[in-house]
Amino acid sequence: MTESGAWWTLLAAPAMLFCLAALAVAANSVLDARDAGRSAGPAAAMRPFLALPRALLTQPRRLPAPDVLLWRAGIAIVPVAAVLSTLVIPFGNVAVADLSVGVLWFNAMEVLTWAGLWLAGWGPNAAFSLVGGYRFLALGLAYELPLMFALISAATGAQSLRVGDIAAAQQGLWYAVWMPVAFVVYLAGVLAFGFLGPFAYPTGRDLAGGVLSDASGVEWLLLQAGRWLWLAAGAAMAVPLFLGGGAGPLLPAWAWSLIKTLAVLAVLVVAVRRLPLVRADRYVELAWVVLIPLTIAQTLVPALVDLAR
Amino acid sequence: MSLRAAAARPRVLLTVLPGGTAARLAAERQLRLRDWPLAASPAQADLLLVAGPDCPGLRAPLERLWQDLPTPAARVSAPGADAVQAALDSGRAQLGSREGQLDRIRASAGAHRHGGRPAKGEEGPGGVHDGHGPHGHGGMEMPGGLSMAGVGEDRDGLTLDQLHLPLGPFLADWPSGLTVHLVLQGDVIQQANLADPIAPGGEGAAPFWAQPWIQADAGEPVTAGEAARRRSAAHLDSLSRLLSVAGWPAQTVVARRLRDDLLAGAPGPAMAPRLERFTRRVGRSRTLAWATRGIGELSTQGGKQAGVSGPAARAGGDVTDRYRQWLADIRRDLGRLDQPARLQAAEAEESPRGRWRAQHPPSAALVTVLPALLTGAELAAARLIVASLDPDMDELLPTRREVRAPHD
Repeated sequence: MTESGAWWTLLAAPAMLFCLAALAVAANSVLDARDAGRSAGPAAAMRPFLALPRALLTQPRRLPAPDVLLWRAGIAIVPVAAVLSTLVIPFGNVAVADLSVGVLWFNAMEVLTWAGLWLAGWGPNAAFSLVGGYRFLALGLAYELPLMFALISAATGAQSLRVGDIAAAQQGLWYAVWMPVAFVVYLAGVLAFGFLGPFAYPTGRDLAGGVLSDASGVEWLLLQAGRWLWLAAGAAMAVPLFLGGGAGPLLPAWAWSLIKTLAVLAVLVVAVRRLPLVRADRYVELAWVVLIPLTIAQTLVPALVDLAR
Repeated sequence: MSLRAAAARPRVLLTVLPGGTAARLAAERQLRLRDWPLAASPAQADLLLVAGPDCPGLRAPLERLWQDLPTPAARVSAPGADAVQAALDSGRAQLGSREGQLDRIRASAGAHRHGGRPAKGEEGPGGVHDGHGPHGHGGMEMPGGLSMAGVGEDRDGLTLDQLHLPLGPFLADWPSGLTVHLVLQGDVIQQANLADPIAPGGEGAAPFWAQPWIQADAGEPVTAGEAARRRSAAHLDSLSRLLSVAGWPAQTVVARRLRDDLLAGAPGPAMAPRLERFTRRVGRSRTLAWATRGIGELSTQGGKQAGVSGPAARAGGDVTDRYRQWLADIRRDLGRLDQPARLQAAEAEESPRGRWRAQHPPSAALVTVLPALLTGAELAAARLIVASLDPDMDELLPTRREVRAPHD
């Protein structure tokens, strides 16, 4: 059973999230090096972190009439929301706060990124940046509803919004096995709220970086960190929702949580690299015509199973 | 010390001047091997690398671009391919030097006192801040000194704000030397006007991608293998830009690496399986086809009427058809990369962008069909359309005729 952790878990959870995100960035960098024909050793894994001193040193730029307050708020929201989302994710059998509405909390934090990215696009008062911000809204319109139905499927199966209950309800059979549609849609949702890979539309290179086009230094760093933190948080959340949480033979619960999280994270990093970008106008069509009906049907399955019990 | 740490892996804004293709290729190769990321906008860059021969007509926009880089920053130029290594090394040294950065801060503070930052103009990826039209609102004070957008009727007869947004000449993954002035309403392009190509100041070289055909025209011995190699490399270069704009960074890098290896003369039998794997993976990607379907339709008939003769005319369709044509052409040339036979009259074999005729270079036709394809498209589609045609503006430069002159 999942229990709320001691005070120090409040520090440990974000620290672990940062480590997972850093691991994903390093893995991506090694794969980058291999594709580019450079040596793919440990040095390649550390290369992205050279951006840290650089970002901290960069002076702010002067822009004509930026909306500084909303811009900074928006940029800060993205990584902060990602960190806050981890409060309800159990690691092994311990979560920082095992809220009775944990799934809702996670969903609410994820929706905060909508506001964050849109404001980050709005702030610099520049066309490409603004278009990038709006692109995320269009993307949100497409990915959010299927994602919510995927979350609801898992919650319906366990008849609880408490993340710990959902993990515990999967004794014997993982939700990923008998709710595959919900699982896949959830993983796509993770890539989408991390605006990475096929869903990197708001930062498209055709817009000279979109939301990122006028972000320099720390602003750039926070947005980049935000997207990888979200990827890590999404991977961690997939474990209690669909992969039985910390349950597993021989090893302790925390080890199973870690192994499963790393596996999901690896799948996500590979997906980021293997899939080309999907433009939001095309994805909206797929999401509303195919994914929403599919996920509603998927939600029906656990509902009927519960009724029959 | 900390400055040097920050300069360990500079992000480079690669700016290509007309006639700078060879320098760009050398720079992209170097940056790939050094793992210095390519920045998409001046805000993200530390190092401004100007590739290509000096061009007086573009000095002012370059200066504005340079002002847009956040400090610490360094600016270096590589007029030719052999200057790239040294330019990059000197750029990193400047980034790490305290004196250099203090100079920049002083200079920008001075510019600020004398009437603020230089007016941001039309061009440049950062030059999007005053994309609003020249519609003055006489005397009224506007936020940041920017004027309000003018209004005009859109395609549905609604009156909407018009945004004047120039694309080029310095955009990442954009044909160097091309500038298109767009009038946007919402994200729909109402008007697209081409700016005149800007010629470089000094003596330019022949356009890089058409070189074998120009040499063959001039009666120099060129092997068919050399031409096939250059053509495949040109298609890979075009594909790398299209993939970058379409948003597939992993395959963009693969395309660039294959292109560099082809140009470096890697043996054909070693290249063939790698090229095959790449063309298969990109050609079979349903997601990429889905994302580019129905954009920028150019029928074979319409293309031929405009004088388009290359892959774009043969593909006869949308962006998807055009990149698949490139892939098919690369596959067709796989066995010919090392052919020792002499290139027959240039007419017999197509140059990368179509049949090579010095007076009517194939890229000229590609440029003429652009405005019609762009009008009515969405902003997101515009970049894909340009990248799928990928006109080589160097072919349009007058220097090319000087190369031809003795033969005529």
